[in-house]
Amino acid sequence: MTTTQAPRIVTVRQNILKANDHTAAGNRAAFRAAGVRAINLASSPGAGKTALLERTLRDLAGSVRMGVAVGDLATENDAARLRQWGSQAEQIVTGTVCHLDADMVQNILPRFDLDALDVLFLENVGNLVCPSSYDLGEAARAVLISTTEGEDKPLKYPTMFNTADVVVITKMDIADAVGFDRDLCRENIDRARPGVPVIELSSRSGAGLDEWFAFVRGESV
Amino acid sequence: MHEASIALSLIDVASEVLRENGGARASALTVRVGAWSSVVPEALTAAFPACAQGTPLEGARLSVVLVPGVGECPTHGPVTLDVRRGLRCPACGAPTPTLLQGDELELDEIELAEPELEDS
Repeated sequence: MTTTQAPRIVTVRQNILKANDHTAAGNRAAFRAAGVRAINLASSPGAGKTALLERTLRDLAGSVRMGVAVGDLATENDAARLRQWGSQAEQIVTGTVCHLDADMVQNILPRFDLDALDVLFLENVGNLVCPSSYDLGEAARAVLISTTEGEDKPLKYPTMFNTADVVVITKMDIADAVGFDRDLCRENIDRARPGVPVIELSSRSGAGLDEWFAFVRGESV
Repeated sequence: MHEASIALSLIDVASEVLRENGGARASALTVRVGAWSSVVPEALTAAFPACAQGTPLEGARLSVVLVPGVGECPTHGPVTLDVRRGLRCPACGAPTPTLLQGDELELDEIELAEPELEDS
């Protein structure tokens, strides 16, 4: 009887995204060295990330030095929208990729003078699934949900909400008009990430922005 | 849909393991995907063969093991979670903020292919 060598099985147990996590750690170290608070903003398309950033850039222009790296599949429209408030905004066009990853952020960083910034916003591609897997090196992750979306979204996209450091409910000025169930939404957010701070605001009316600005400055959350 | 990106990262990690172990090709690999990883196993197995073309993983059999979420209930200890109910103990509804398992996205095992025998 001839002996055949058994197949060699190698036990690996390695994180598939370890290369991304390694680059993210480098980004995080760069932010820390420059004293920059990096904030990753994620939401579904149309939840109001860019509107909130516009309002933030406008209202905090005199007191916080801010920059934005904004990811989209195509177009430079968002960066152009954000630049009008005087802060540097750089577009990351991701092509067919539905999320920002740590490499994309690393590649855009040389365009910024990090020492001249207090806060760098990383506005992710509008998508509640894929961005959740990718650490960018941020200090904090803000996940937005608008009052026009279903209150069960936190349960439909548990990973995104479970990685949030703060959840922001946007478009509160039209909450009544669209029949938004505030208590149900907050309960579902708490199911997805028990104890996570929730900020309710309206970029249009300005309600709730003080709480958001405290988060931006790193004074809360 | 970021499973193609995940598949490419998987191939990078697996190729590195092959190099370290002196294997030219893999015949099979197993990945562990947590219920809270936001990766859809079917989409990953669908994307993998095309992404593996021209790499040492080409033709390798990909098995995905779905890892359920497990949380720690103050009363009931480790409990298996239902993703539709969130991080709540299924028995008493208490919050279970920390996932003990279920957020994995990892390459578990690789089966190295036998070197093909040269015909004389």
